[in-house]
Amino acid sequence: MSRLEVYSPEGLRLDGRRWNELRRFQASISTHAHSADGSSYLEQGNNKVVTLVRGPGEPASRGQLDGQRATLRVSVNVTKFSKFERSRTSHRNERRVLEIQTSLRRTFEKACLLHLYPRTAIDVELHVLEQDGGVLGAMINGITLALVDAGVAMWDYVAGVSVGLHDQTPLLDCNSLEETAVSTVTLGVVGKTEKLSLMVVEDKIPLDRMENVLAIGIAGAHRIRDLMDQELRKHAKNRIDNLAGKQ
Amino acid sequence: MSEVITVVKRKGVFENDAAFNGDRIDLSSEDEMMSDADEENSISRRDTDSPIVTPGELITDDPVWMRGHGTYFLDNVTYSSVVGTVSKVNKLLSVVPLKGRYAPETGDHVVGRISEVGNKRWKVDIGAKQHAVLMLGSVNLPGGILRRKSENDELQMRSFLKEGDLLNAEVQSLFQDGSASLHTRSLKYGKLRDGQFCGVASSLIVKSKNHTHNLPGNVTVVLGVNGYIWLRKTSQMDLARDLNSVGAAGGASTPKGTNGPTGAVSLNPTTNVSITRLEEESSWQIYSDKNDPNISDSIKLTITRYANVIKALAFCEIGITQERIISAYESSMVYRNVGSLIEREVMESLGADVINGEKMRGTGV
Amino acid sequence: MSLSIAEESFLYDSLSGPQRLRPDGRLPHQFRPVEVFTDFLPSSDGSSRVIASDGSECIVSVKCKVVDHTVEPDLIQVDVDIAGERDDSLLVESIASLLNKLIGTVDHARLQLTKKYSFKIFIDVLVLSSFSYPISLISFGVYFAVSATQLPKLVSNFDDLEVEELPMFDDYDLVPLEMRTPLVFTLALVGKNVFLDPAANESAVANNGLVVSWSAGTVVAPLRTIALNNTHVTGFDPELLQVGIKLVEQHAPGIVHALEG
Repeated sequence: MSRLEVYSPEGLRLDGRRWNELRRFQASISTHAHSADGSSYLEQGNNKVVTLVRGPGEPASRGQLDGQRATLRVSVNVTKFSKFERSRTSHRNERRVLEIQTSLRRTFEKACLLHLYPRTAIDVELHVLEQDGGVLGAMINGITLALVDAGVAMWDYVAGVSVGLHDQTPLLDCNSLEETAVSTVTLGVVGKTEKLSLMVVEDKIPLDRMENVLAIGIAGAHRIRDLMDQELRKHAKNRIDNLAGKQ
Repeated sequence: MSEVITVVKRKGVFENDAAFNGDRIDLSSEDEMMSDADEENSISRRDTDSPIVTPGELITDDPVWMRGHGTYFLDNVTYSSVVGTVSKVNKLLSVVPLKGRYAPETGDHVVGRISEVGNKRWKVDIGAKQHAVLMLGSVNLPGGILRRKSENDELQMRSFLKEGDLLNAEVQSLFQDGSASLHTRSLKYGKLRDGQFCGVASSLIVKSKNHTHNLPGNVTVVLGVNGYIWLRKTSQMDLARDLNSVGAAGGASTPKGTNGPTGAVSLNPTTNVSITRLEEESSWQIYSDKNDPNISDSIKLTITRYANVIKALAFCEIGITQERIISAYESSMVYRNVGSLIEREVMESLGADVINGEKMRGTGV
Repeated sequence: MSLSIAEESFLYDSLSGPQRLRPDGRLPHQFRPVEVFTDFLPSSDGSSRVIASDGSECIVSVKCKVVDHTVEPDLIQVDVDIAGERDDSLLVESIASLLNKLIGTVDHARLQLTKKYSFKIFIDVLVLSSFSYPISLISFGVYFAVSATQLPKLVSNFDDLEVEELPMFDDYDLVPLEMRTPLVFTLALVGKNVFLDPAANESAVANNGLVVSWSAGTVVAPLRTIALNNTHVTGFDPELLQVGIKLVEQHAPGIVHALEG
């Protein structure tokens, strides 16, 4: 990939974006109202993620029962057909996937007011139908939308986005082609604050560039938060109007 | 339209299949500049005129408000924790969530399914966050109301109610954590028979004084506040209850049924069903699993028609009341084949009929 | 799905009676309406999403690969993933084996590229949620995904035995695969009656289930019986098998017509 010009001297990236531009972001909620309490379908660039939230509800087993708070479980299913090249094996028990599950669970345990739902379980099920770089960020956004749709109380939104570092320039929301060429960081940002609830660095990033990378990442996450907020508000308004017309 | 199957084909992306009028929104154009984030912000601030709030949104920094559900308090400021509308009742500030499971309230008439038989109690699935509890002491046992409960009863709890059994009950009280305790100590509550189950979202059930209604066609509906609905052949008891309430509503001089210790309403003396019925009903029969052997096919078909009509109202997200069920049932008569009521267009047109009918008569709730 | 005894006997009596009354009023051969989306996964060669009216949902992707068919004779492979089920669960394995067996009978001619090379297509099924036995829904999903599949257009020579060369493809042009995969129907046997596309509550009281496959205008093997519940399963009259097959023969053309429409 060394021949690939990730960032042209004119300041354009492979897909024509500038360094601080997000990819297309499209979301809908309540997409699976029959089979889950909350659900979302998210397209962030070419990432396509379906999230189903079941609960808060009676736990399936006593082992899941916590008298103080709800037990949160996250399961991630990266489908075999999600990448351009089909993978032969199921990703279900891969270490990478298990790690993602754990970090997502920890992030959302902090983001939700779980103490309001003692002795219950909340199960989050993610299906990655297509991935194209920064899929962890898309998963965070998908879960946030589905949890809010399920009516689970949250301190604030968590918005996820990845940032790459090409030479001296941070690149917002990298696709998979860019990911192969630059080091990336994935951030989970709480609401409109500068608090990070998740940060995953999978390659080396010079410490003195970190500040720049975080700054654009946080700005990008705030933008995503606004987009999610708009979707939720629009959905809420439609629902309320719909009910008002019929009550 | 094929008689065998209807296939609706759509190209491309996911669409919101839940919403009646598919509210998929394209959130952003291809290129999103970071620099217009500030501008965006001012737009969302203008939005706040509408009463909808989202998680993390500041509701008020006035400390006089008491903080209710759907809010949290940090550094003297109250924030929302869910998507919903702000409600201010006296000094209580809360956010009514848009969606969520059924939240039980004392006095609610619910329909539930036994999920577990435990020590002196049953666990009942009522579609809430947690299963409700039905204590052995909160049910009428065979042999009359004054009968004392014995150890024997504890051992044979499964012979009264077992896993899978459906019953209707009243929410007696709530525990600290919001879960419900139920009771069935009235003749209008207890095991459900002679019919069919149907479930809708609990938010669609409009609360009213009465949740058991006798419908045209010899069918009775029990509209659980939790969205669980039971449709059955109208029984003698159902008829008697209706006569009684009609008598009371008409202000007749017949003595209004007195509420016994069980909350059981004694019946209008002019009907052929007498108070001794209470004793009869309190026998083993109230826990029987046997349906009435004389349910005709036409009644079964009517029950099915009502079930489909209720699903159509739910599909259109129309609040469910006795009047609307009857109105939708009457409009559905155009479709001779009950099975055609499961088609999307038919459900939409039934929903529209009900709403238009109300607008014309000016009887909208 | 656990029902009360009273509910079950009400359902059973209605279904097994002479009027064959279904709890949602459908005719014995009537399917629940389905909604279909196709071509929503650009990185797959074909895709579909099928949703039944009870919210059961299945997503299917078709991807192709060029293989040497002298080495790899199996040109179609089906993989099934059901949310909430282990990959080695009985349900997943039995459905996958049935689909693979069935799809092996499909005419492969259209997949051949040159004398040496062929497309191999991988059909991945993801069942997001299912409330009753999902095989019918899956077969619809596969049907739509495969009919929507478009493969790269060959520009090199068909005869590559003489000249050693790998197949070459046009950069933009695609060719529709135009293959039709078999449909699979679930039937519930209740008493002496047979019903197509049983819903969850019908399955709960069925005495037996029957899986009947339909390919190229005729009922084909394999034919299987399945237990739709754990409590009511009994042996059944072989005559019902005939009734079931007749029911499929009678109505499958209508279903194919509706799917094509």
